Amino acid sequence: MNERIKKTGSKILIYLLLVIWAFIVLFPFYWMVLTSVKKTSAYNNETVPQVFTTDPTLENYISAFTKVDLGRYFVNTLIFTVATTALMMVVTIPASYAFARLEFRGKTLLFSLFLSLMMIPTELVIITNYVTVVNLELNRGIKTYLGLILPSVTSVFYIYLLKENFEAVPDELYKAAKVDGTGDLKFLLKVMVPICQPTIVTIVILKVIECWNSYVWPRLITREPEYFLVSNGIQTIRESGFGRQDIPAMMAAVVVVSVPLIVLFLVFRDKIMAGVSRGGTKG
Amino acid sequence: MKTRKTISLILMLALALAVLSGCHGTLVSKAVTGDGNTDVPEEFDESKKIELTFWAKNDTNVVQTAVYTQAIKDFEAIYPNVKISLRLYADYSRIYADVITNIPTNTPPNVCITYPDHIATYMTGSDVVLQLDDWMRDSRYGLGGSEVKFDAPREEEMVPEFLNECMLNGHYYAMPYMRSTEALYVNQDMVEKLGYELPDVLTWDFVWEVSEKAMEKNEDGSFKVNGQNVMIPFIYKSTDNMMITMLKQLGAPYSNENGEVLIFNDTTKSLLEEIYLHAKSRAFSTFAISSYPGNFLNAGQCIFAVDSTAGATWMGSEAPMQDIHEDQKVPFKIALRPVPQFDPEHPQMISQGPSICIFNKDDPQEVLASWLFVQYLVSNSVQLGYAETEGYLPVTLKAQQSAEYRDYLSRKGEDNTDHYFIKIEASELLMNNTANTFVTPVFNGSASLRSAAGEMVENVCKSARRKQEMNDAAIQKLYQDVRGLYRLNEIEVKQADPSGGTEAAEQTGGSSGELPGISKALLIGIPAIWVLIIAFELWEKKKAKRKN
Amino acid sequence: MKQNNLKAWLYLLPAILFLGVFMVYPLVDVCIYAVEENYASIARTYTGIGFGNFRDVLSDKLFIQAPKNTFILVVITVPLSTGLSLLIALGLSSIKTLKKAFQTIYFLPYVTNTLAVGLVFMILFDKTEYTKGLVNLLLHTDIDFIDGEYWMKMMVTCLYTVWIVMPFKILILTSALASVNQEYYKAAKVDGATNSRIFWKITLPMISPTMFYLVITGFIGAFKAYSDEVALFGTNLNAAGMNTIVGYVYDMLYSDTGGHYGNAAAAALILFAIVFTITYINLKFSRNKVQYM
Repeated sequence: MNERIKKTGSKILIYLLLVIWAFIVLFPFYWMVLTSVKKTSAYNNETVPQVFTTDPTLENYISAFTKVDLGRYFVNTLIFTVATTALMMVVTIPASYAFARLEFRGKTLLFSLFLSLMMIPTELVIITNYVTVVNLELNRGIKTYLGLILPSVTSVFYIYLLKENFEAVPDELYKAAKVDGTGDLKFLLKVMVPICQPTIVTIVILKVIECWNSYVWPRLITREPEYFLVSNGIQTIRESGFGRQDIPAMMAAVVVVSVPLIVLFLVFRDKIMAGVSRGGTKG
Repeated sequence: MKTRKTISLILMLALALAVLSGCHGTLVSKAVTGDGNTDVPEEFDESKKIELTFWAKNDTNVVQTAVYTQAIKDFEAIYPNVKISLRLYADYSRIYADVITNIPTNTPPNVCITYPDHIATYMTGSDVVLQLDDWMRDSRYGLGGSEVKFDAPREEEMVPEFLNECMLNGHYYAMPYMRSTEALYVNQDMVEKLGYELPDVLTWDFVWEVSEKAMEKNEDGSFKVNGQNVMIPFIYKSTDNMMITMLKQLGAPYSNENGEVLIFNDTTKSLLEEIYLHAKSRAFSTFAISSYPGNFLNAGQCIFAVDSTAGATWMGSEAPMQDIHEDQKVPFKIALRPVPQFDPEHPQMISQGPSICIFNKDDPQEVLASWLFVQYLVSNSVQLGYAETEGYLPVTLKAQQSAEYRDYLSRKGEDNTDHYFIKIEASELLMNNTANTFVTPVFNGSASLRSAAGEMVENVCKSARRKQEMNDAAIQKLYQDVRGLYRLNEIEVKQADPSGGTEAAEQTGGSSGELPGISKALLIGIPAIWVLIIAFELWEKKKAKRKN
Repeated sequence: MKQNNLKAWLYLLPAILFLGVFMVYPLVDVCIYAVEENYASIARTYTGIGFGNFRDVLSDKLFIQAPKNTFILVVITVPLSTGLSLLIALGLSSIKTLKKAFQTIYFLPYVTNTLAVGLVFMILFDKTEYTKGLVNLLLHTDIDFIDGEYWMKMMVTCLYTVWIVMPFKILILTSALASVNQEYYKAAKVDGATNSRIFWKITLPMISPTMFYLVITGFIGAFKAYSDEVALFGTNLNAAGMNTIVGYVYDMLYSDTGGHYGNAAAAALILFAIVFTITYINLKFSRNKVQYM
C-alpha cells in the first residue's frame, strides 16, 4: 500500500517538474507569438507588458512580407540551405568513409589534424574568409550565393560523427562485399549509406537548422539586399518602424521563419533523436 | 622517427601557407601616407557605364527612404550612364563597422552618409577619403560648375558654418547633408502651474529649480503638478551632447584638434555633482534610463524634454508622430526653446546631423560621378524633400532662401502634419541660431571621447538612483573607469614637429609592465597544463611499450 | 588491410580543399596578424613583429573582465544545467504518456532564432519607469536585472544561458539513460537495492562519460558566448560589465579608432588556446573512461 502511494506521489512530482519546465520553455515562445499579433502602436504604448491582447491583428504578418522582401529572403535561404547541405553531403560522406574503412599513409595524422580543426572558433577565421571572398568577388551579384555557400560547407564535426557511425557497421559486410568484387564506391553508396541513414538524416537536419539560422556570416558579406537571408531580414524588419523599432513585425517574421524548421523537426523527430544521441559529440 | 617526420611536414606546410598569405601591410615607418588629393578629370565621359554604391542612414523612416530613392531615380535620369545602388542602415555605427571592414579590402562604397568623427578614422588610411577642395572649386564640375547638368548650389550658396564643420586638417573631406541642433521642448502649462513664467531663453538654474519644485507630491503619492504617479520633470535624450554643451557654454576644456583629452577637469566634476543631485531626487533622467523624452512629455509626465530638432515631429500632444496611445496623451501647450544656457545673452548649441563623404577609387570617372551625385544630394529638390520629413534644416542658403522653403515656413501651424508648428519652429530655431552653433574637434578617437562624456552622466545618474555616494574619490574613480572603458589613453596626440611633420604620442603611459592576475594565471596555467599533458602521454607510451 | 592511398586521398580531397581554404589558411593568417604589432587595418600598417599584441591584450583591463565573466558563467551554468537536465531526463525516462510531447517541447529552443528569444527575455526582465517587469511582478521583488548591479545581470545571463543549453543536454541524457543495460537494474532490484542506491552506484557511473562530455562541452560553449549577452544587454557590453572574449575580439575588429586586427587575432588565439586545452583534456579523459566500461 505504502509502495503504491509513494509511487503515485513520485509520479505526480515528476509530472509537476516536467510541466513546470515545459511552461518555462514555452513561455518565451508564447510571448513571441503574442507580440506578433499585437498592433505595433498598441505594443509601443504598453507601459506595462500585457500578457494577452484584446485586439489581435494579422497586420504584422502582412507587413513582415511587405516591409522587406521576406519572400525573396526565404528563397535565398532555401537556395543557400539546400546547396550547402547537398555540397556538405558530397564532401562528408566520402571523407568519413575514407577515415572509417580505408587504410592509407598518414591516416592517423590527417585525422588528428581534422579533429583539431574542430576546435577552431569561427571568430578566428571570419576576417580572413571575408578578405578571400572579397578578393574573389564572391559578394557581388549572383556570385553572392557562392560567397555564402562555400565557406559554410564543411564542418569537421559531421565528418567525425559519420565516421563513428560507419565504423560501427560490422566488418563482415565489408569483407563479404569485397569477396563479391564490389568496389568501394558502390559499397559506400549501396550499403553504408542506407544502413547509416538515421545519422545521415540527423546531419542533414542539423545542417539545415544551422544554415537557416545563420546570421553573422551572411550579414558580413551580403551587400545587395536581394541576396539577404531571412536572418538579415528579421533584423531589417526590426528597424523598419516609423522612427521606432517595429518589434511586433520582427516577432511575426521570427515566427514565420521558425515554422519550417519546427515542421521539419516534427516530421523527422524520431530519426533526429536517435541519430544525435548515438554520436553524442558536438563541439 | 615517424613523429619527427610528421612534425617537419606540418612545419613545412605552415611555412608554405604563411608565405602564401604573406604580410598584411607595411611597417609604419615605411608607410606611404596620402591625403586623398585626386585630380579632377577634364571631362565626364557620359558614354561610360558607371555603377555607384551609396550607403545611407535613415531614422527608420520610410518617407526618408522614399526621398533617397527618388533622388537616385532623378539623378539617373539626368545621367543615364550612372547606376546607383542604395543600401540603408538604421544607425551610424553599423555604417562605420561596414566601412572599416571594407577599406582594407579596397571595397568601400562610393558615397556614404557619415559623421566627421568617423571620417577622421577613415582617413587614417592613405588616400581613402577624397579631398574635396579642388573638386568644389573646379570651374566645370565644381559646386554649381558650368558642366553640371542640374541646378547645384555654388560654394557661396552653402551655409558657411555647416561647410566649415566638414574640414579636417585644413581641407574639406565631406559635404554637409542635413543639420539639426538640440532644443528644449517645454510643457508651458505645467511651468505656469508651478508659478513660473517661461522666458525666451532658459538657464540651467531655472530648469533645475522648476524641476525640483515639480517633485512635490500629494498625500496619496501622486505628483501635485500632474496628478499622476509618474513625473520626471527633466529628461535629456543625448547625454553626450549634454556634457559637451555644458562644457562649451562654460568655456571649459573638452578636447582640441590635436586629440588631447581635456574633459577630466574640475568643471566637469562640478557639473556631474549637480546632475547627481537632481538624478537623486528623480527630477532628472536620461533616455538610456527612462526612455524617449517625447513619450513622457506627451503623456504629461515631463516638463522639460531635450531632444534633437529633427525629432520635433514626435513632440507635443498634437504631434504627427505619436508613440503613445491616445488615452495616455494629455493635451498641453507646448513651447520650443533653445537648450538651457549658462549665459542667456550668448546662447550656444551644438550642431549635428549627417554629412556625406566620397571614397577615392582608381577610376577618376567613377569619382567624378560620385561627386556629381553628392552635388545632387545638396541640390534643392533633395534638400527640401528630406528636411521636411522631420525638423531638419537644409544645409544650403539656396534651399533655405528658396521660395518653396519660405512658403513652407510661412504655413507654420496650418495643420498638424507637414506644417506642424513645432516641427517648423525647430527648423527655424537652427536657422536663426546658425552663428551660435558649435561642433567638437574631430580626430581619430573623438567618437570614443564623445561616448565617454555621455557615459559619465549616465553613470552618475545610475549611482544616484542606487543611492551610492558621490564624493571626490567616486569622481576620480569614475574618471579612471571611463578612461579605460573608452580607451582614451590610447588616442594619438598630434604634436607639432618643428620640421613640419607630426609625431604621435600616447596621452599617458600605455600598458604598464605588470600583468594583471588573471593574465598571469593564463600565461602560467596553460603551459603548465600542457607540460602535465605531455608528461602523461609519455608515461602512457612507456606503459604501452612495457606491456609489449 | 590493403593500402588505398590514391583512392583515400581522392575521397578526402573535397574536404581537404574546403577546410584548407576556409580553416587552415585563415588560421595561419590569424597567426600572422597576431605577431604584426599594432596592426591598423585601415592604414594597413604595423609597428613591428613580435608578441606586443599579446602583451597589450593581456594587460587590457577590458579583456580581463571577459575571462572573469566566462569563469563565473561556467561555474554557475554548467553544473546547474547539467544537473537540471539530468533531473528532467530521469523524469522523462520514468514516464510513458506524453513523453514524446514533452521531448518535442523541450527541443524547441534549439530550432529558433536566438536573437529573437534573447529580446523576449530582455523584455521580461527589464525594469522601466512604468513597470517593474513581468519577472519582478511574479516574484514580488524590485530588482533591476538588466541595468543594475553586476550580480543581477550575471544572474539573468546565467538563467538565459541555462535555458538555451538545456534542450541538447536533455536529449543527450535521455538517450544515455535509455542505453544503460537494463540487466544491471534487474540484478540490483533482485538484490533489494533502493532507488537511491541504484542511482548512485549504477546509473550515474554508467552515464558518467556522457555527463563528463556535457560538462566539458558546456565549458567550451560558454567560452564562445557572445550573442546571448548582446541580446540581453545591447552592444555596449563593456559598459554593462558583461563582456566576453568573443565580444572583445569584435570590439577590436570594429573599434572607434579603426580595426585593430593584431589585438583581435591575439585575443582569438588566446581563446583558441583555452578551448583547445580543455577539449584535449576531454578527449583524453573520455577515451580513458570508455576503456574501462
